[in-house]
Amino acid sequence: MKFFQNNLAVKDIIFSFKNFYSWSYLSYFDLKLKYRRTFLGPWWVVLGIAISATAMCFLWSTIFNLDWKTYLTYLFSGFIIWMWISQLVIDAPDIFCGSASKYIKAYPNPPIFYVFRKCFLSFLLFLHHIPLIILVTIFVNQKINVIVMYTLPLGLFLIFINSIFFTTIVGMLSARYRDIDPLIKSLMPPMLLLTPVLWKPEMLGEYSNFIYLNPFTYFVGIVRNDLIGLEFDLNIWLGAIVITIFQLVIFFLLYSKKSKRIVFWV
Amino acid sequence: MKSEIILKNVNLDFPIYDVESLSIRNKISNFGKVIVNKTSINKSGSRIVKGLKDINYQMDHGDRIALLGPNGSGKTTLLKLLAGIYSPTSGDMSKTGDTSCMLDIGFGFEQDATGYENIILSNITRGLTKDDIEKILPDIAEFSGLGEFLDMPFRTYSSGMQARLAFSSAIANTPGILLIDEFFSTGDIDFSEKSKKKVLEMMDNSSILVFASHDLKLLNSICNKAICMHSGEIVFSGSTKEAITHYKSIYE
Repeated sequence: MKFFQNNLAVKDIIFSFKNFYSWSYLSYFDLKLKYRRTFLGPWWVVLGIAISATAMCFLWSTIFNLDWKTYLTYLFSGFIIWMWISQLVIDAPDIFCGSASKYIKAYPNPPIFYVFRKCFLSFLLFLHHIPLIILVTIFVNQKINVIVMYTLPLGLFLIFINSIFFTTIVGMLSARYRDIDPLIKSLMPPMLLLTPVLWKPEMLGEYSNFIYLNPFTYFVGIVRNDLIGLEFDLNIWLGAIVITIFQLVIFFLLYSKKSKRIVFWV
Repeated sequence: MKSEIILKNVNLDFPIYDVESLSIRNKISNFGKVIVNKTSINKSGSRIVKGLKDINYQMDHGDRIALLGPNGSGKTTLLKLLAGIYSPTSGDMSKTGDTSCMLDIGFGFEQDATGYENIILSNITRGLTKDDIEKILPDIAEFSGLGEFLDMPFRTYSSGMQARLAFSSAIANTPGILLIDEFFSTGDIDFSEKSKKKVLEMMDNSSILVFASHDLKLLNSICNKAICMHSGEIVFSGSTKEAITHYKSIYE
């Protein structure tokens, strides 16, 4: 017990919970500033995604020879979740070296405070797009499973806590070793093609099990699959939970050992 | 609650990862007053700068401590250590009491936010709630003397106005242990007089004050103890008067 009380990772997470108000307000304000002086405000992002997803829907449903109605919900929900996750991954290396660095050097808030601020902002951005999913679902008259009531909040929660762990781990590594940033930025575009967002796993035929090698499959899957009434896949959930535990352990070890060094790296 | 800070054999090393690159220049300038040419190599082969060397000191409730020393002697580093921004490489620091620091006071400002919003933002980062801030907002606004500029975006401010806003937002701190790095030089005569007065008032309310400055007269009138630093070491500690004499002797 004493070990946990004195552990830096535990201490800083408790600090962040207590200061929920501060970082959530800052995230909310970041969002507000993002749209200042624009006419459509947040709807620009929604519109942008709607345009690109609609265009892709017509293109790919023709190429894959699919019924565009069922493909529309699949693509929209998958793409929107993908946008959230991929943006998180792309932004992760900059978390401590970027705008947070001047805070870290000037004020003794724990570094993870700024991770919460950033990840919550991404979550708020994702919430913008929910109306789009609802709209598409109504438009094609998609049936919704009751199980969504339970799996959706759980899925979003899992993605959120993973975003905290991932951003902290990658942020720390890339603050110390500056090669991580370009590496991740060059890996992410092909990942979109390797993750079942544009295509369905069964299209791979005998190779369809290969999707389980890709960690993004799980996180896109846990939110999307029940939302659009795909068959419940236990593997996806187990995979997501295993990755969460794995990240938790790495986060815990790294943060409690090295978080005090971050200020010297940024 | 009694405030107290005890430093025991505290050492602080700045690791420097890439001497050739541009980032190192940024690093050194950000670390502030660290002597650059006194670097050494540590075990893993990376270059280190000794920020603080073997600091032993005890600060008790009611102490008013002046930090003296030439540029690069480790004053800011020591203040940041006391604030909890840096942690010692070796040695122990124990601290009881809440800390409010006025070191790099301009942090937490967004270019596109208005003056009012920036006051709120920077104080929310310091852990206040919006309700707390709204109570003191009129005082801060009046103190800043920025008037209707407070409704304009921060990016439109001149550097003097930015400094005014930075200082005014920082005074919302409720001091316990108060750490201050010299910044009176900003602003016009009127404002620097006003801010000096405000800081004196805050100092009166603090439980422990650590104040780094080059204004010897001011230090002499406020502080009852003094530390004189040179290249990361405490070279003298004692009464303010003796410390000032010692400090002057460095230059002779």
